[in-house]
Amino acid sequence: MKTLLRDLRDFFVSLKLTVALLVFGMLLVFAATLDQTNLGIWGIQQKWFRTFIVWQEVRGISLPIFPGGYFIGGLLLLNLLAAHIARFKFTWRKAGIFLTHLGLILLLVGELLSGLWQEDFHLRLNEGDTKNYAESYRDNEVALTDITDPQFDDVVTIPEALLERHASVQHPKLPFRVVAKAYYPNSLLQMRGPASPPSLATTGLGLEVVAAPQPMTYKTNEANLPSTYVELVAPDASPGTFLLSTGLVAPQRFDYGGRSWKITLRPKRIYEPFSLTLVKFSHDRYAGTDIPKNFSSRIKLTTPDGRDDREVLVYMNNPLRYAGLTFYQAGFENNDRTTILQVVRNPSWLLPYVACAMMTVGLVAQFGIHLVAFVQKRRAKLSVPAVA
Amino acid sequence: MALALLLAGCGKTDTASYRIPKEKDAELPASMTQPASTTPTPADPLVAPPAAAPGGPMAGTAVPTAGGPGLTWTAPAAWQAKPAGAMRKGSFRVTDAAGATADLSITAFPGAVGGELANLNRWRGQVALPPIAASDLAAAATRFTANGLSFTVVDLAGADPANPQRILGGMTPYQDAMWFFKLTGPDALVAQAKPAFLDFLQTVKPVTP
Repeated sequence: MKTLLRDLRDFFVSLKLTVALLVFGMLLVFAATLDQTNLGIWGIQQKWFRTFIVWQEVRGISLPIFPGGYFIGGLLLLNLLAAHIARFKFTWRKAGIFLTHLGLILLLVGELLSGLWQEDFHLRLNEGDTKNYAESYRDNEVALTDITDPQFDDVVTIPEALLERHASVQHPKLPFRVVAKAYYPNSLLQMRGPASPPSLATTGLGLEVVAAPQPMTYKTNEANLPSTYVELVAPDASPGTFLLSTGLVAPQRFDYGGRSWKITLRPKRIYEPFSLTLVKFSHDRYAGTDIPKNFSSRIKLTTPDGRDDREVLVYMNNPLRYAGLTFYQAGFENNDRTTILQVVRNPSWLLPYVACAMMTVGLVAQFGIHLVAFVQKRRAKLSVPAVA
Repeated sequence: MALALLLAGCGKTDTASYRIPKEKDAELPASMTQPASTTPTPADPLVAPPAAAPGGPMAGTAVPTAGGPGLTWTAPAAWQAKPAGAMRKGSFRVTDAAGATADLSITAFPGAVGGELANLNRWRGQVALPPIAASDLAAAATRFTANGLSFTVVDLAGADPANPQRILGGMTPYQDAMWFFKLTGPDALVAQAKPAFLDFLQTVKPVTP
């Protein structure tokens, strides 16, 4: 038993393991870079890095082909921790090395937490528009809204993951059950013709339009167009089966149980406890050329309780950080009248900064200690009187 | 660490409910708004191109993507405009002396909508014609340019002798969408309306701001 534990310890503190993991890490980055042509940047992050095992489909069977980023990074972290515990002894002379390694550990943990916790959204604002929500780049949701009240909308959202599973959802705020009959992550919308096959839809736009499933695209200049057929099942007169798609911008309306409803498939939204108004988007160019000099959005930030009512300027490398969200200037369109802000929620956003600061201080301290020792040694050597 | 993994796993499959102040529905991009001066009632255009790729166009270009207006056209006086309905940009009834009618629809869909061949074969299927291969596409379609728009036009006579139907179809890419102009109806009527249809396509042009 003791031998086994010693072997295990020797394995985890081994420098050979460090080197092997670094080599695996390099191979992982190389293979993922090649695969980026097939899957795009988001796809390879999920397939190669944010996973313990990399799976590859070979003739319809998923096979594990390589250790994933979490596996290699996790082992590297264990290796680093184990080496510190088992081998290194703290001395002031090595304080810099310790601090540098601690920074590295924090960097690895920070990347893991970012991978697990970070959420990305975007916010499109036309000049003069006000919004209190941001939309996801990738995730979608079915939104059922009770629009009967003239003052408020009551919204129930069902995430894409449940649609993919063809789930049947009974929400306490809905007088009907929502059954996902089909879900296509990418689709083509076409007008139905006389020879078109029967549609799953029994009401709404699905009577005129049909969604044909398509392979997903991972190209950066293309977007997937998800569509779903959703049936609303009620004990008496069911509202029917709707075709929903992110390509159908306006929601479809219907009445049920004496109330008015609208239903749509849209990018997942996060509502914020404040609203943003685009006062002006500026696209400055160098005089006499079309070369961009600066992009900036003048935004008015307002909270309902009146605690905040101020203008902020968001531009490259100067994001707005507010209420746990960071708003970066990400794009523009519509002849410079619409701004696109990237909205990031990452509770662990400070860790990489702290880690880098620790590593910098650690390296400076370590080199400083060596420099001082070197200078002292040299001075001592010079001060020895020459023997005649 | 285990807690972090656990927390990250939550939320993907949860339904949510909330109350918000009354919201206006999303405004449509200008490229997809109803442009047709000849359409009697404005359509309720519900289809828009997918959003731009994440990150927007800022990174590599100095030229912003312009969301200009849509297309406009002038229909022959003999064509009777119909309400466009939910999915159409424009809709007309074409009638002959005997009272037979054909339907002209104008629609726009985001992206390339599968490309020319897929759409041509879809139309062929609607008049009981077998699909053609990509190598036959050049011979099956005629092309011309009008007002800066590149049109692909096909003339498909149906294969069902009991109910001879014909489709005259024109498609043109414009901005982020593919626009379709399709005249469907009895073979003789559609064949007779072909010159008027081709003249009509010549009138299609982008709306000037």
